[in-house]
Amino acid sequence: MDHNKRSPRIDRRDFLKTTAAAGLALGSRSLVSAAGGTNDLRVALIGGGNQGMVLLESCQKIPNIRITALCDIWEEYRQKYASGRLRTYGYEHNAYTDIHEMLDKEKDRLDAAIVATPDFWHADHAVACLNAGLHVYCEKEMSNTLPNARRIVVAARESGKLLQVGHQRRSNPRYRFTYQKLLRENRLLGRITTATGQWNRSRQDPLTMPARYNMPPERLEKYGFRSMEQFLNWRWYRGLGGGPIVDLGSHQIDIFNWFLGARPASVMASGGTDYYSKDTHEWYDSVMAVFEYPTPDGTVRASYQTITTNGFGGYFELFLGDQGSLEISESSGRGKLYRDIANAPDWGSIVKQGLLREPEEAPRTQAPGVVLDVRETAPPPSYALPVQSTKLYHQPHLENFFDAIRGGVELNCTAEDGYETAVTVLKVNEAVERAGRVLFTPSDFEI
Amino acid sequence: MFHVQHAAMATVFEIRGECRDPDVGRQAARAAFAVVDRLEQTLSRFIENSDISRINHLAAGESTIVGYETLQCLQLARLMYGQTAAAFDISLGTGFENLEIVPEEFRVVARAAGVRLDLGAIGKGYAVDRMADVLEDWEVSRALIHAGASSVLALDPKAGEEGWPLTLSEPGHNGRVLAKLSARQCALGASGISKGDHIVNGLVGEPVRSRTAAWVWAPRRVLADLGRRAGVDASAAAVADALSTAFMISSIDAIEAYCQSHDGIEAWILADTFLHFPGTSPLNTG
Ligand SMILES: NC(=O)c1ccc[n+]([C@@H]2O[C@H](COP(=O)([O-])OP(=O)(O)OC[C@H]3O[C@@H](n4cnc5c(N)ncnc54)[C@H](O)[C@@H]3O)[C@@H](O)[C@H]2O)c1
Repeated sequence: MDHNKRSPRIDRRDFLKTTAAAGLALGSRSLVSAAGGTNDLRVALIGGGNQGMVLLESCQKIPNIRITALCDIWEEYRQKYASGRLRTYGYEHNAYTDIHEMLDKEKDRLDAAIVATPDFWHADHAVACLNAGLHVYCEKEMSNTLPNARRIVVAARESGKLLQVGHQRRSNPRYRFTYQKLLRENRLLGRITTATGQWNRSRQDPLTMPARYNMPPERLEKYGFRSMEQFLNWRWYRGLGGGPIVDLGSHQIDIFNWFLGARPASVMASGGTDYYSKDTHEWYDSVMAVFEYPTPDGTVRASYQTITTNGFGGYFELFLGDQGSLEISESSGRGKLYRDIANAPDWGSIVKQGLLREPEEAPRTQAPGVVLDVRETAPPPSYALPVQSTKLYHQPHLENFFDAIRGGVELNCTAEDGYETAVTVLKVNEAVERAGRVLFTPSDFEI
Repeated sequence: MFHVQHAAMATVFEIRGECRDPDVGRQAARAAFAVVDRLEQTLSRFIENSDISRINHLAAGESTIVGYETLQCLQLARLMYGQTAAAFDISLGTGFENLEIVPEEFRVVARAAGVRLDLGAIGKGYAVDRMADVLEDWEVSRALIHAGASSVLALDPKAGEEGWPLTLSEPGHNGRVLAKLSARQCALGASGISKGDHIVNGLVGEPVRSRTAAWVWAPRRVLADLGRRAGVDASAAAVADALSTAFMISSIDAIEAYCQSHDGIEAWILADTFLHFPGTSPLNTG
């Protein structure tokens, strides 16, 4: 275990040496944020892997957040790297291998924890943190099993602490605007009948690392992994992750539930390990699912596919109604509405209110008395969303969590919301297994 | 031998290497390409939530926090701006000096609105440098890395060879070969205008048309040490990138003087004639 008690000034000596040469001085973040005083939140980062580092980049951009503890079992690589990165950003912290030791020593000095470990650890980690009196930001998928996801919901209720599930689109300004203003208040799509979504990724070899970073087998085993290969590629293994439908699909199927304001009644799915070796890809490498959603407006059918052999089209969600279509994606800048000109009223007033951009193909103003300016074929109108977000993808969701801790705002994705999505998504794997239609009952969603 | 490519930053990144187990080479390359993709998300001005986009949206008096890699690129760009009397300017004349960089806070403050950064002339080189970190972490030491043939970093050559054989040629499909190089542990940057008016002389606010191409090369160590003056981790390819862009703009005298006063830095300019600035280069060019 490595206690980085030294001040960032000393820890960042390489950086300091070189920057000082350029006539610059470095201060520590605690000095910088001391201005914020008691408003500072002290946060533990549990799991300093890929996503842990992505969340760190967002935290760095949020004022009055101090990451004061780090926990990662991979001392040889991730713990070292993450710790270095924390120091670079001026976060004085202690680094731990085991979460229980971390909580014993640090819980009194912490306000919150971010859990970014593999899915099968979420329940143990989130519950331990909640019971230690911390608010928790728990990465999706809440868990790889429903009983464990339920444990999180119950612990959140019983502890009275906040639990935000990491479905970050729920805080994305573009998604929130689209949901609230365009779909709910103005019903621009008319009656939504259909939704579809995809996340296609190109072929990828399993992750590997140079052998000198290997963990000793005893530590791997202690934390539930058979080998380094399995540890690095946990998402593909039964009992650890849920495969791409859970890893990727969960983000977008969460949007189906949210935007449709409904829970599905059934799902049919087809999938398999069609391409990779079943030894390394226990979960399905491609999955296609069809949900049926009863909504107050009528039935909505929603299809979703994720494939891992070809990235064509990337990732997006589509909502189709009798008056228009919406294409939306977390991917920067991707979001448009299409008006069904035969069936929808004019959207001019919507554009005037600033709720949609002027259609890109807007006809040029015509001279008085002229009815048509004749030109090359004009495409039907499409309207870009007026909301841009210049924040990192996870930043608004983390901000929402921190703001909720300070009071005054509601969480955008509570334990209950995350649980509904977990139920919806985990059923897909069940439907693939049964090669048939699986029904949801209302009680499936209740705890 | 292994040879792999990856599309990113609107070009193709490529690694050629030699490794006892070519599979290790390919795994290392995959990890290196993942780093490039991450960098593109923070450095590209075309991505709406990149650090660079956020800077480009700042109003006068506003500031934003950037990540470590962005800070590194900005510090390097600031150094090269000073070193080249503003010939190298990632703001393309929109007022780089109006950005205040506060490294201890990772903060960039806009003293005026309208500054528009484009890391096109340094980002690919910086990405190539970070790829080298990954390959070396994997103990892949015999490799040639480049982005779009213009930001090149040569690690060790193949066993038994002197260096990676490279040429500098006149632009165009069958351009005459102007120089032959043998590269090992050095970086090479190339700039040119055959893609159109994409190099802007920020000093006069006009695209460069008087020169066809510029090349800069130097030992990795020399260029990396230069960047370290601004607190930047070893970034030889980024420095070579920046200099080759600057040398499309700097006066011939200034280029001559730069190469004379910076041990090991060598340059070529293709204008009406082909000029070579050997500087005090210890490298052997044929
Ligand atoms: N919201 C998103 O967009 C998003 C994106 C990617 C990943 N995720 C989620 O983030 C989580 C982490 O994914 P990742 O891609 O970073 O995986 P990863 O394998 O890169 O990182 C996991 C980290 O957890 C550490 N770890 C494993 N078991 C641990 C334990 N018992 N105690 C402490 N540390 C432990 C590992 O050493 C590793 O550093 C997953 O739940 C994943 O679904 C979310």
